[in-house]
Formats: sequence, C-alpha cells, structure tokens
Amino acid sequence: MKNIILSLLILLFSANTFVFAETLPKGIIRIDARDAPALKLNDMDGNSFDLSKLKGHWVFVHFWASWCGPCRKEMPTIQATLREYKDSRLKFAIINTAETEDAVFSFLGSIASDIVPLMDSDGLVTERWQPRGLPSTFLVDPKGQLRYQALGGRTWNKGAYKKFLNQFK
Amino acid sequence: MTISLFKKRFLNHYSTTDIVLLFLALLVLLLLFGSPLIAEEKKKNVYQDEDIYLRFIYRSAEQVAAFYEGREFPKPAIERAVQSCYVTLIFKNKSDDVLWLELDNWLFHKNGKTIPRYKQSYWNKQWDEMKLKQAYRSTFGWTLFPEVRDARPGESVSGNITLPMQMHPFSLTLYFARGENKKGKMKTVKLNDIYCKDAVQK
Repeated sequence: MKNIILSLLILLFSANTFVFAETLPKGIIRIDARDAPALKLNDMDGNSFDLSKLKGHWVFVHFWASWCGPCRKEMPTIQATLREYKDSRLKFAIINTAETEDAVFSFLGSIASDIVPLMDSDGLVTERWQPRGLPSTFLVDPKGQLRYQALGGRTWNKGAYKKFLNQFK
Repeated sequence: MTISLFKKRFLNHYSTTDIVLLFLALLVLLLLFGSPLIAEEKKKNVYQDEDIYLRFIYRSAEQVAAFYEGREFPKPAIERAVQSCYVTLIFKNKSDDVLWLELDNWLFHKNGKTIPRYKQSYWNKQWDEMKLKQAYRSTFGWTLFPEVRDARPGESVSGNITLPMQMHPFSLTLYFARGENKKGKMKTVKLNDIYCKDAVQK
C-alpha cells in the first residue's frame, strides 16, 4: 500500500513538473538548443558589445526597426523591463536593424529614451540570426545557446511575460 | 443674405426641441445605417475562416515612395521600386496547427494565365545592378512578405508582395501545407478582385 501511495505521489509530482515545464506564455516558443550566432556590435554611444562575453548570464536579444508598427508598440515595454532588470543577471542586447543613427535617435527619443541600441548598420547580423520577422526576441542561455524565441511583439513588463523573464534574473 | 433668410424661416417654423429631436433622429439613422457601411468598407479587403485571417492593403506608388524616402533610400532605388505593384498582406494563423506560407505555391492569375511574382531574387538583381548599399537592401528585404515560413498557431506574418503592374483585378489561389512536417490536409483558398492600386480605381 505504502508503495502504491509513493508511486502515485511520484507520478503526480512528475506530471506537475511536466505541466509547469511546458507552460510558456502565449507567443513564446522553445528552440532546440543550439549555439547562438555571433553578436558583436557597437551601441549608439560607440561602446562595443560581444555576446560571447556574457556566458553565465541569460541574454534577451531583441531585433527591431523604427518603421515596423509592432516594434513601436513593444518598445516602451522593453524600456520598462530594462529598468526593472537593470542590476539583475538578465542582460539585454537591443539591436536596431539597418537604420541610421538619426532615424533611431528620433524614434527612441520620443518612445523609449533610456535605450541605447546596438547598431546593426548594414543588417547583416540580423540576417545571420534569422529572426522570424521584426520585431523578434531570442533568449540565450548562460551557455550561449538559443533557448526561446518570441513570435512578434510582447508586453514584456506585464503578466505572464514578466513572470517568464523573472526566472532568468 | 440667403442663409439668414433660411435661418429666419427655419427657426420660425421649428422650436429648439424640434431641432434637437431632428438632430438626434439623424444621429440614430447614421448609427443604424452608417456604421455597417463603414464596417463593410473595412471588411472588403479581408478574408477569414476558422483557420486563417488575411488582410490585403493596396499601396499606391506614392505611398511606396514615401515609405522608402522616409528611410532615406537613394532616388534610383525608389524609382525602381515604385514601378511594381505592392500588395501588403497581413496573415494570421487562427488554427491550432502549423501552416506553411510558401509564396511559390501561391498563384496569382488572370484568365487562366499566371502572373509571375517578383521574388526576393528579382530584387537582389535590381539592387546588384545599381550597387545599392547593404543597409537599404536589408530594410527592403524585411518589408517583403517572407518567401517561405512556417506560421505557428496564433502567429501573425506580414509584408509586401510585389508583382508586375496589372491594369485589371486578378485572382489569387493560396495553398497552405499543414503541420510541422507538412503532412496535414492541404488548405486552399481562392480569392478574386486582388488589384494594383495605381492601375485600378476601386
């Protein structure tokens, strides 16, 4: 009898773990772990960024352009998230795809002035990452492997998305 | 003079209450009959069923030029770009399965003849010829509807489909393979009255 109860408890526990492990917020998909493409860019202030130096941290890698409607909508939620996780272990790489500094400056100035984006001036880094469209977000694990991808824009500072990010800080 | 005469006669015949009531009646009529007309107009370029939502936005050359001018594209590139017909497509996968978007399997046609689409490779050739900078190529590429993509349940995909300019409306038959491995039942949708904004006045 003891054994049956124990087995049932184990079964119940594993079922719950499975359910929790598989529950992701809407529009977030798991990627079969593979090495993230190289990501070495300068930000708008001229500081260099190299993803490979962030091993040991989860990294939120986001691609956007000012002409894309969903990007405009999502950007304030990214700014709020950046503020919240400023001193956490979750790091951010916010990459503008193929735009000029003037275009980026005038866009962010009015929408999310805290963000200093990495400038993929010729768009080649974005192409190497093969996002499903713009905007696009990847989560890179501490080993430098792609683990999750967001389909389109998400409200990162709210509800299920905030909870999802909390596990990486 | 005429207006004040009208005001005088009108106000002499009707009280303020009558005018307010008349105004309210007109408002009710507008709400009853006006909004379905407006909604119908909005729905005109939309197709949806239990699996998919499709919205077509027809772009004029002026709109296309304004967009790329705003992105500081060189003049020759804009001149080349606006010679085509632009249909912006917004797609949403409403089904519970993966649907495949493969533009090569979508047929634009008129009177039994296929209208060849301008693919990404066509644009690459154009940009090669004019030695267009990589940044502009990249931006232009991202504004195009992807050539091949899987669309996950709930996912939206949008972008421009480019064609040679057509003077008359045409048809589009879309085929969607279904399932991760494309082994599900193929979905087919046939739509008429697709058009190029500059060439056809709708």
